[in-house]
Amino acid sequence: MIHTWAWIGWLISALVALSITRNPLYLFLILLCIALVGWTQERRLSSESSQTQNLLPFSPFKFVLVIITLSALFNAVISHFGETVLFSLPEWLPFLGGPITLEALAFGAINGLVLGGIFAAFTVLNLALPVRSLVRLIPRAYYPVAVITSIAITFIPNATRQFQHIREAQAIRGHRVRGLRGWLPLIMPLLVGGLERALGLAEAMTARGFASSEGGNQTSQTRLGMVLGLLMLFGGWLLRLIEGGQLLGIGLMILGITLIAAMLWSIGRSVPRTNYNQEIWRFRDFLVLIGSMVVISAFLLPIPWIDQSTLHYNPYPILNLPGFDPLIGAATMGLLIPIFIIKPK
Amino acid sequence: MISFQNVSFSYPDSERPAIQNINLEVAPGTLALVIGESGSGKSTLLRCVNGLVPHFSGGSLQGNVRVNGLDPVQATPKVMSRHVGFIFQDPEAQFVVDRVEDEIAFALENFALPAEEIRMRVAEVLDLLSLKALRYRRLETLSGGERQRVAMATALVMRPEVLVLDEPTSQLDPKSAHDVLETLVRLNRTLDLTVLLAEHRIERVLPFADQLIALNVKGNGGISGPPRQVFAQTDITPPVVTLGKELGWQPLPMTVEEGRKFIPDIESRTPKSETIPTPVSQKVAPYLQIHDLEVHYGNQIILDGVNLDLQQGEILVLMGPNGAGKTTLLRTIVGLLQPAKGKVIAGGVDISNKRMDEICRAVGYLPQDPNALLFANSALEELMITLRNHAGKMDAAGEQEADRTARALLERLGLINQADDYPRDLSVGQRQRVALGAITVTKPKTLLLDEPTRGLDYGAKQSLAQLLRGWRDEGMAILLVTHDVELAAEIADRAAILKQGKISSCGDTSRVMRSSVRFTPQIARLFPDTDWLTAQDALIGIRQIFS
Repeated sequence: MIHTWAWIGWLISALVALSITRNPLYLFLILLCIALVGWTQERRLSSESSQTQNLLPFSPFKFVLVIITLSALFNAVISHFGETVLFSLPEWLPFLGGPITLEALAFGAINGLVLGGIFAAFTVLNLALPVRSLVRLIPRAYYPVAVITSIAITFIPNATRQFQHIREAQAIRGHRVRGLRGWLPLIMPLLVGGLERALGLAEAMTARGFASSEGGNQTSQTRLGMVLGLLMLFGGWLLRLIEGGQLLGIGLMILGITLIAAMLWSIGRSVPRTNYNQEIWRFRDFLVLIGSMVVISAFLLPIPWIDQSTLHYNPYPILNLPGFDPLIGAATMGLLIPIFIIKPK
Repeated sequence: MISFQNVSFSYPDSERPAIQNINLEVAPGTLALVIGESGSGKSTLLRCVNGLVPHFSGGSLQGNVRVNGLDPVQATPKVMSRHVGFIFQDPEAQFVVDRVEDEIAFALENFALPAEEIRMRVAEVLDLLSLKALRYRRLETLSGGERQRVAMATALVMRPEVLVLDEPTSQLDPKSAHDVLETLVRLNRTLDLTVLLAEHRIERVLPFADQLIALNVKGNGGISGPPRQVFAQTDITPPVVTLGKELGWQPLPMTVEEGRKFIPDIESRTPKSETIPTPVSQKVAPYLQIHDLEVHYGNQIILDGVNLDLQQGEILVLMGPNGAGKTTLLRTIVGLLQPAKGKVIAGGVDISNKRMDEICRAVGYLPQDPNALLFANSALEELMITLRNHAGKMDAAGEQEADRTARALLERLGLINQADDYPRDLSVGQRQRVALGAITVTKPKTLLLDEPTRGLDYGAKQSLAQLLRGWRDEGMAILLVTHDVELAAEIADRAAILKQGKISSCGDTSRVMRSSVRFTPQIARLFPDTDWLTAQDALIGIRQIFS
């Protein structure tokens, strides 16, 4: 098992890289690295399982392909810039009419690559980390919120499976979706079943000693402190925008964050709860973190021997080949480190 | 340990009490089985033990309940959760997180026990329930039996004095059910744990039960006592007990082993099975033919060359362990899954590549969860919707005709008085029949049923069996997938067993059911040299011998 914070570091590095570059070559490389980590993780989970069901209710690969295709098509019909005209839609079509260009198609596909990459990175995290590890990141002061989040995350795959059952059950009685009303036989059993399940879960949690009143005791002082902290944070941010008020603004923001953290700590103390399974930070977690730092450094820091101009790419006005710095390409491989730690059984 | 004194309870807005005037005592270390028809108040009684009734349900409770000296009403479910572990029918519905270890530790973390103690208790309970190998597994990857054991672990980690289980084996195949019950008995004996469990499949639990609590017997609130004493006063009895009562065996046998003591006298006079004439079914061409069917999920082979025939006017029962591929087979027949190889022929036509709505006019399929089908405002409307789905837009005359057809079927299903009721307000058995109506209203020639007796009481099972026999006699071909061995014995014309994607045996019900110990009904185990499968068979056979 890789430490939760090491995974969070990996996620942040993937997101930073995805959001900084628009170069399709780097984006494709990042997506490939994420996919390889995800594939290794899924293989490991499948090797543990005796059941035949898929670990994810849909194919992430197909989903990413759909995102890229839809994004490319959407941009192509909305944006009519670019010099390589493929064909034209009639001008009388509102918004859509005009030339459909290769550049607009490429720009949309690049945006799709970014969106697909973000989705894939979160999917890998979902496969890699148990819900409990993610929920532990929520401050203890909001313990009921953490429990609700945990239930919500585990509820989604269940609801997806339930929807699949309902769709099949309706199909075998000859149902086909025609118009909005056609969704009723699918949505109604899902809603009612979801409510029944929620009630069942609430009963089970009551039987296991969970009471909804167990949230942190918010006294009037802590409430006031939270409001003050938020006001300071907001005020500091506003001050930063005014000429000469930058330093004061940052100071006020730090004060506000400290006050909010202190209030959360104070409320959290009144929540009687144990985190029994403290994770141990091992050498391998360090390696994952180093890999992530390498990726972030290559994409973010002004390192002299790296050609960061290749990170930027614009297919307009005419499609051209993107540049590629092998050093950035090599640094991206830092995302692959989890593969060497996750071993299928 | 548990005591009920004149306990009655009514749910809010309910006209009649769910339980009435219950008096019972359960001693420490007892394994008590609660029986009764659906709606007799079994779940209500169980929920009184940890205070879920009335704290969670609302309603008014009269009388005194004491559990280990505590009053659950005063103490609240939070306090009672340390004394009473509660396990629900569907373990999946009670899980909060996604990993075995986290799920077990959830309640202890909630009670803020020291981390060291939580670690110790989790390790202890993993060991006790043989769950060590599953410690880091995701819950969705576990089998039904494994999930039920995890649910037990989540309750036992609180070190309760009482364990309450609401139909814990209803979704399990005979082997998994046996494993779960064996674990339960081991806990009961080694930890001196008091166990209170409700179950419809009495024959599974009875061999282990010290005490029987029968609810709503002949209008009484309930009776409690040693199983022999209680069975003498109730009609809900497993086959061996039914036979014992009919033949006046004393003391009344509770298990097959106890019943064998009464056999020598009969056995010496019983003709061997080959001399008993078995009814010869008319040989007609099979209506449904499954040829060499192969289905894959990724790299895994789920069905591996399945061949099966189903004739008109026949009930074929398909049994097999959880995960053997039974549901996959049914889903493939109706076109929900595409086979990698093989074909399905219905009425001489290859339906493997047909559209699903075309297939479903010839082959009706009732999935495991009837709730997935029901969404309309009334039972009648559910049937009408299926007719409209198949017929497209109907004119006034068509609507009238459809209404007549739907009402006639509801009459037959025994639901005509519930025609205008909201389906989800009906009992489990009635809901099952509405779903069956929604499937069969198009009069398919073949009917496939997947575990239709889940959660059904004895009476509901009997009415379902009667309905299926009626359709069978009219020429319908019925393929029934079930774990319910006793129902299979009662209803099957032929039986088949599916194991690891292959049909391991198929043919004469008696021969197939005797081929695997897990699928052998009680009467067949009691009279191994005969063809008898049900108490009724045995009674007729024995009376013939002695007359």
